Amino acid sequence: MQTTLQPIEDEVLVPLQPDEETEDGRVRNREAIAKIRDIWIYSKVRARQEEFTQYRKALVFTGTWNVNAKGKEEPLDEWLCADWATQGLPDLVAVGFQEIVDLNAVNVAVDNKTQQRSQVWTERLNATLNQHANQPERRYVLVAQKSMVGLLICVFVRFPHYPKVQYVQTSQVGVGVMGMMGNKGGVSVRLQFYDSSLCFVCSHLAAHRENVTGRNADFANVFSKTVFDVGEAAIREVIRSGSLSHFASQSTTVGLADHDHTFWLGDLNYRIDESMPTEQILKLSETCQSSRHVPPELRQLDQLNMERSAGRVFAGFQEGVLHFAPTYKYQPGTDMYEQRPEKKLRAPAWCDRILWMSQQAEHVQQLTYSRSERPNCSDHKPVYSSLQLTVKDVIQEKREAIYAELNALLSRYENPQTLPVIELDQVALDFGPIRYQERKTLSIRITNIGSVVAIFRFVPKTDEVGICKRWLSVKPAFGMLVPGDPPLTVNFTITIDSYTAQLLNSGREVLDDIVILRLEDGRDYYITIKASFARSCFGMAADELVMYSDPIRSIPIDPLERAKKIDPTNTSTALCIPKELWRCIDAIYQKGLAEPHLFVESGIPEETAAIRECLDTGTAFGRYSIHSYADTLVSFLSSLSSPVVPTKLFPTVEIDSQTIQSSARRLIEDLPPIHYNIFVYVISFFRHVLAFRDRNLLTAAKVARVCVNSLAPGRDLDNTAASLQKRTGMQLIVLHLLETSSI
Amino acid sequence: MNSNIGPSSPAASRVHHFKLVLLGDTAVGKSCLVVRFVRDEFFEFQEPTIGAAFLTQTVQLDDAMVKFEIWDTAGQERYRSLAPMYYRGASAAIVVYDITNPDSFAGAKSWVKELQRRGDPNVVIALAGNKADLEGRRKVEFEEAAAYAAENGLLHLETSAKNSNNVKALFVEIAKKLPKNPPQPEREAFPIMPQQPEKQGCC
Repeated sequence: MQTTLQPIEDEVLVPLQPDEETEDGRVRNREAIAKIRDIWIYSKVRARQEEFTQYRKALVFTGTWNVNAKGKEEPLDEWLCADWATQGLPDLVAVGFQEIVDLNAVNVAVDNKTQQRSQVWTERLNATLNQHANQPERRYVLVAQKSMVGLLICVFVRFPHYPKVQYVQTSQVGVGVMGMMGNKGGVSVRLQFYDSSLCFVCSHLAAHRENVTGRNADFANVFSKTVFDVGEAAIREVIRSGSLSHFASQSTTVGLADHDHTFWLGDLNYRIDESMPTEQILKLSETCQSSRHVPPELRQLDQLNMERSAGRVFAGFQEGVLHFAPTYKYQPGTDMYEQRPEKKLRAPAWCDRILWMSQQAEHVQQLTYSRSERPNCSDHKPVYSSLQLTVKDVIQEKREAIYAELNALLSRYENPQTLPVIELDQVALDFGPIRYQERKTLSIRITNIGSVVAIFRFVPKTDEVGICKRWLSVKPAFGMLVPGDPPLTVNFTITIDSYTAQLLNSGREVLDDIVILRLEDGRDYYITIKASFARSCFGMAADELVMYSDPIRSIPIDPLERAKKIDPTNTSTALCIPKELWRCIDAIYQKGLAEPHLFVESGIPEETAAIRECLDTGTAFGRYSIHSYADTLVSFLSSLSSPVVPTKLFPTVEIDSQTIQSSARRLIEDLPPIHYNIFVYVISFFRHVLAFRDRNLLTAAKVARVCVNSLAPGRDLDNTAASLQKRTGMQLIVLHLLETSSI
Repeated sequence: MNSNIGPSSPAASRVHHFKLVLLGDTAVGKSCLVVRFVRDEFFEFQEPTIGAAFLTQTVQLDDAMVKFEIWDTAGQERYRSLAPMYYRGASAAIVVYDITNPDSFAGAKSWVKELQRRGDPNVVIALAGNKADLEGRRKVEFEEAAAYAAENGLLHLETSAKNSNNVKALFVEIAKKLPKNPPQPEREAFPIMPQQPEKQGCC
């Protein structure tokens, strides 16, 4: 149910050179030492950034328009120059287009028409921006453009600032059919403007009203996969402006989150939630358009607003309040929403949006956020926003002076004759019991009690790569302390995800680790990490769960201990489905089948944790929201160590009206016994859920997706056409089973 | 000549550097032996080593100076798997047992075995029966250990970190046994901080 962003890479020091043994017998890594030292200086320099930075204002115009493969003649100035009279000439102009070519199969697969179209559009932007360029300071210069199938982004700078634009890079991410093809995705331009790094992303996310999770996933995909290899010189600027992880990892690539300011524009395709009838949305949208007032209830039902406030998408981004009418879907060439009788009646939506994310929120001020009525040849109206940025302008001489000062300070504490000495406040961390999905952090404090600089880093054990086991993370993984520095805190965090839970439940892993802290030129310290896993029904095999009528928490993991309690050969006590599954379903069945947005809305994290605990310990449920039960049910099923429908049972033939019956039958027949029980039970339950569709607002398609995600996740399927066909086939079979009464 | 040896080293005689590692079960007195050898101190309640400590000490032989770079390791069983990090590349190893504790002697044998199997093939191994001052509580006979040492080509001494008996001798015997030829190439030990090139700005 939840789409989470991939975590930003931990700061781990990866020296290219292995540790070496010096002639004096010590183990040392010169490269690591030099880096840690530089990182220390960088962070100190950065902390004093106010002393060497001037700030200047910059006006940025951003625009987005889905042109629907049209609009090659209509003038663009009503849109592009909308703010010129009130705000003055922008310093930077970033414009994104979607659907500059038809998204037909040929164009999606073969990208040649795109080149020609993006040339045309870039030229038209250029002409519009430069129509009054009688003086050099009114002239706009193209900085970069990037296109991919229907997507195009262009960035222009006003001529006087042209020398202050550096390190320009572009990137593209396709998330459409088969992953890399570009019918959906994002194109981006990044650059350094004065001493601030800016990035502009133009994206087109998954369509269709009900496909909110698809859009969220597309966003997460584009967000995490947009990377720029900026090279050595630019990376130094990135590091200077604060991203020390690059320094540590040797990487010369930057992601979106590494920029001072990121602007995200495009046809994000979020619609208005279907809990409001289409006719009503249409009516309200028309009122918006004529009165220029947006009723709050409409804005609140905007899917992007809903998803953002639930924290499921665009985390860290800002957006202005929607004070303009929905921009889609118009009858091309008119100012009327599309409602011609021969066309499908669609609820209007704010598909076209502009958001931004900044390292310093106070450095961006949105001046306008609106739509333009012209050009109107597309079924979307163009959207624009002017923003005032505060950009950094570094006085090099001052920065160098501060660097020299810190360097001098440091060299006073560097003496190869003297061994560094540190003190750790503790070396054994006992996390105590830890539950599934729980995250616990303990820390140690390191103090430099010697007379020279102490550089430390965590090192891998012999023949290992990582510094600790995968359920543990250590932060920071390296550091440097000058004598007199306050103690430095290192955090150790344990997280039990479902993979770890599977290993722990099967006894293939224990929560025990030793982490080695190496004091360069000093000694090694061992930090022992210990925790006890509070056993959970999450991340177990269904076949094993049915053997226990006692709560899982009371079942020992050790097979010998377990054998004393349970006789595995005695199958008479075996249940037909895991009791935990029955409890979740029963809770929803008793009081929640009619709950609006059932299986669409997420549960409350504290409640889902409490429900898991009830399942694991066999205690009665408290009073929790239905959504929390639904969330728990889905995550329980998808955590099973082997999925209810193994990938090998996915359909191998294309599913159509001819093959669906037999494929569905074969699938069910081939399921292993316990899995068969679970499958039939869950599908029957969801049929009941669908009987309440008027009130819980579910559709068979949505339920089918929930079922496939939890019963047949197909984790080992890749993005090839064959896999895609299998997934689609599985979806169709489940849909079929939900809609027919026989199983 | 190496610049990092310190002012005490006589400039005339050649200094040979050897990495030496101390291995053995927990509480047999590894750290006490090192502290006695390096700083001539003894603490009745030496805390268990959790990690690996690095110390250096020089031994003057008739014809040469030998500087030991000593890695004192943790003896607790749970850290055993980390020992290879330290004995890899060591020229010498002292395997310590406690003469009042027969289990520690069995442990010493297994450490020797591990060194013979996984350590440097030319590693000089010394077997040290520590806590020799506790004669009244002796459980490991000198002859038994000596026979085992002879069989395996190990140096063998009984030591007392507490009263300092045989501690220096142990290191001197090892120093004598270590090959002094060919002379080690004279190379600069690199400085703790690499040379800072004339930097421009803070990058």
